[in-house]
Amino acid sequence: MESLLNGNLTIITFFPLIGILLIVVLSLLYRDSEEPMKIGALVVSILEFIISVPLYTNFLLGFAGMQFEVRAPWIESLGVSYHLGVDGISLFLVLLTTFIMPITILSAWNAIHRGMREFLALILLLETALIGTFLALDMILFFIFWEAVLIPMYFLIGIWGTDRRIYAAVKFFIYTAFGSALMLVAIFYLYFVHLDQFGTASMDILDFYKLNIPYFGILSPQGLLFLGFFLAFAIKVPMFPFHTWLPDAHVEAPTAGSVILAGILLKMGTYGFLRFLLPLFPNATLDLLPVLSVIAIIGIIYGAMVAFAQHDLKKLVAYSSVSHLGLVMLGIFVLNIQGIQGGIYQMLNHGLSTGALFLIVGMIYERRHTKLIAEFGGISKVMPIFAAFFLLSTLSSIGLPLLNGFVGEFLILLGVFKWNYIYSALGATGMILGAVYMLWAYQRVMFGPLDKPENKVLIDLNLREIMVLLPIAIMFFVMGIYPKPFLSRMEPTVKELLKTKFEERIAVTEIKQPRIVTDEHE
Amino acid sequence: MFKPLTLEIALTVGMFGIFLLDLFLDRHKKRVLGIFTLLLLIVILGISISKSVYGTAFSGTFVSDSFAVTLKQLFLIATGLAVLGSISHTEKLLIGREGEYYLLLLFSLLGMMITVSARELLLLFVGFELMSIPLYVLSGFDKGNPRSVEGALKIFLFGTVSSALLLLGIGIFFAATGTTAWHTTRALDELNDPLGTLALIILLAGFGFKIAAFPFQFWVPDTYEGAPTPFVAFLSVAPKVAGFGILFRFFFEALEPLASTWTLYAIWLAALTMIVGNLLALPQRNIKRLLAYSGIAHIGYMLLGLASGSKFGLEMSVFYFVAYLFSNMGAFLVAEAVHRATGSDDLDSYTRLYRRAPFLSLAMLVFLLSLGGIPFVIGFWAKLYIFLAAAEAGYIFIVLLGALLTVVALFYYLNVARKMYIDEGSGENSFISLPFDLSISIGICTLAVVLLGLYPKGIVWIAIKAISAFGQSNPIIH
Repeated sequence: MESLLNGNLTIITFFPLIGILLIVVLSLLYRDSEEPMKIGALVVSILEFIISVPLYTNFLLGFAGMQFEVRAPWIESLGVSYHLGVDGISLFLVLLTTFIMPITILSAWNAIHRGMREFLALILLLETALIGTFLALDMILFFIFWEAVLIPMYFLIGIWGTDRRIYAAVKFFIYTAFGSALMLVAIFYLYFVHLDQFGTASMDILDFYKLNIPYFGILSPQGLLFLGFFLAFAIKVPMFPFHTWLPDAHVEAPTAGSVILAGILLKMGTYGFLRFLLPLFPNATLDLLPVLSVIAIIGIIYGAMVAFAQHDLKKLVAYSSVSHLGLVMLGIFVLNIQGIQGGIYQMLNHGLSTGALFLIVGMIYERRHTKLIAEFGGISKVMPIFAAFFLLSTLSSIGLPLLNGFVGEFLILLGVFKWNYIYSALGATGMILGAVYMLWAYQRVMFGPLDKPENKVLIDLNLREIMVLLPIAIMFFVMGIYPKPFLSRMEPTVKELLKTKFEERIAVTEIKQPRIVTDEHE
Repeated sequence: MFKPLTLEIALTVGMFGIFLLDLFLDRHKKRVLGIFTLLLLIVILGISISKSVYGTAFSGTFVSDSFAVTLKQLFLIATGLAVLGSISHTEKLLIGREGEYYLLLLFSLLGMMITVSARELLLLFVGFELMSIPLYVLSGFDKGNPRSVEGALKIFLFGTVSSALLLLGIGIFFAATGTTAWHTTRALDELNDPLGTLALIILLAGFGFKIAAFPFQFWVPDTYEGAPTPFVAFLSVAPKVAGFGILFRFFFEALEPLASTWTLYAIWLAALTMIVGNLLALPQRNIKRLLAYSGIAHIGYMLLGLASGSKFGLEMSVFYFVAYLFSNMGAFLVAEAVHRATGSDDLDSYTRLYRRAPFLSLAMLVFLLSLGGIPFVIGFWAKLYIFLAAAEAGYIFIVLLGALLTVVALFYYLNVARKMYIDEGSGENSFISLPFDLSISIGICTLAVVLLGLYPKGIVWIAIKAISAFGQSNPIIH
């Protein structure tokens, strides 16, 4: 019991599986009612959140390495071990996962009309796989969890999605499976590089950090490995030319699926960049930095412009994800503390605000069975509470000061500015465009004449729906007003990453530091 | 003297018993035969665990080492699952011919057991024929079905050609070395002339027919489609493993000096087989044809182990045999169950299967995921290990190709899963009740796939032990 409350990564990872058992038992006990298993799943996911909180409270401040480590041998001959750990990069992603999951379960309360038991089981399975992905410190273990995310998501989209769901599910699956195939080969290559350099078999990520992989251009070992991992993660994020699966998957998925997809699944990609790409392949990263940042910037502006042109509210939110994740990637690629911290912070923000927006779209879709912006107008008159939450999420998404989005975007742009002010200006353009399309969409949906008869009879949010959105809304303010507890936990890890792998790079950014940042020069 | 032959002798004695039982049994009580066959197989499996079956006989031409015994155990398990899955099939569809059916299966099993123990080419050939001829007969066992007859004719023609090739290869090998036994002349340096390479190529082609590697795979889909499904489950696994067993032993023991040549052929064979199998599986609309082509693709993956030319590669191939055995047989047994309920092997008959038979479709999903190499089931580890072995041998681009082809494979496997779980069906909604024998055999396969997926170490250990047989007698390249 004591270890439970101190944060035990094994229990945190596999606890949702107990929930699946519980659901099966409850569904057998109460054959004609879905309520018991819904409540069961909700309780399990809330308990899961509660047992994950000690990771935050007991997290050692100022310590850069892995904490709460769990390690056991698994397949010794290959050096595969069961190794979990959490550091400043993964901590908040785990918490984000455990925070979002109860909300998605609550949001799906009445939205799922068939196969409730399977739906809940898949959500909980997904939770285990996602948490495992963020916690795994062994390559094979990581890969297993990474792949294990695919199947539940495939079925979530495929079974409970809308009209073109099969197309979307297959597209999602093929894209990501393609990426993971490349990653698997790259993992093997790394394994043999390690065997070659150290003479021992190991699949441990921390051991791989010690490798020195030769780099002399993109066709050198490090360059090829970089490409393998890059494609896997860039597809998942998704970065600009690989993003085409995302709008389909988001739009066709049920609300809960979209929330998990946008809120957490995409973070697997950005997390992969921080956990693998930067520390394992620093030379290749540095060399390709101009290309990568330009791709990120194209993603920001392209995503924003396409979002601008959407008639479908859900598609609009989906394309805004492309834009926001471009910003996250840009923050990561500037390779300074502000940029990466801002990137991680923005991952959380995006998870919360886009999650909230998808929930909101889902709520109005349940009422009106349409997501077309033109079908709405003047909704704020009939749904004032809904209007308030929608506005708050919109403002959070566009980065209004005092709300969470601002902190992340500000940090990223600050970091980028230190490096290259043109990039910073372009990134800021994306933010402005974001404000334009989000506010415009908000205006078209919520204000204007209430002229459609169907819209006049809409009922405002009920207590359950308020409970779905309220925790997220509270977090908007908490993270917007007092970011310190978050940033202070990320900082040592980020600093360590930059110090050990990108020392030269830090020197470069310091020299190029423009005079405008005054306080350090006074 | 006869200790190494214990398993074969026990099997032969048991077969006599079944033969006699068949003569005296009433026409409607033939179910006993299946149960008796199953018991016989379990007893032999029990004997095979004993240490006393190891050794050599016939002045070293017949060897019962850990490799042979492990493969024999796999054959016994595969035959056992096939027999278990056949009991109600034969009872319903092959009335009065059960005795023949089981005896032919056992004859084939005996042939396999002999081939993997052979260290002499003529003994090997005898075992090879003993294994193959019953398969021709069984393929056409559904006499009333023209497809079955067509399939039988195809496997027969291809099989006899491959036998002829084998004989030719044996002849050339004899001409080059002056012996058909390779246990005495281990380092066959004389083989390094063109004659030796010719023998190698022709023998490889002969074995290639049996394991259905590209370009010798044409008979597979038609034969699978027409033959009785529980038998296809057997045909798709056991003879393939036997073919690999011969390849491994012959190439590693006899043709070791030519290793650089045959690893080159094997890698091309592996790559082409993977490509052809996976791509041709894509358009299939019949579950048995789909599994036939996917099986060809799996042969390609297994060949990677041989191509890597290392002990590690062979070990990982043995691991793959185990994974493939349970996953593929399981999938075919599910196909049999669905066929029994719907009368069709069409993929469309799987639509909404989930509503009609939740456990059956869950089992099928597990098998498909295992065949596709998704984590938490044994197929994932099989792919992982075999790729690792190939990467170690330096074939990183072939591994890349194989990994990308698994994405193709996942596409067609998930297509079946989609039919079962997602597609909206029309019409039939009645619950499917499984025959007892099928539910047991499918249950065993499911359990094996899941449990071994959680604990792959045990199989790795068995694989290492099996391949250690080569290590003692032979230094392996790399």
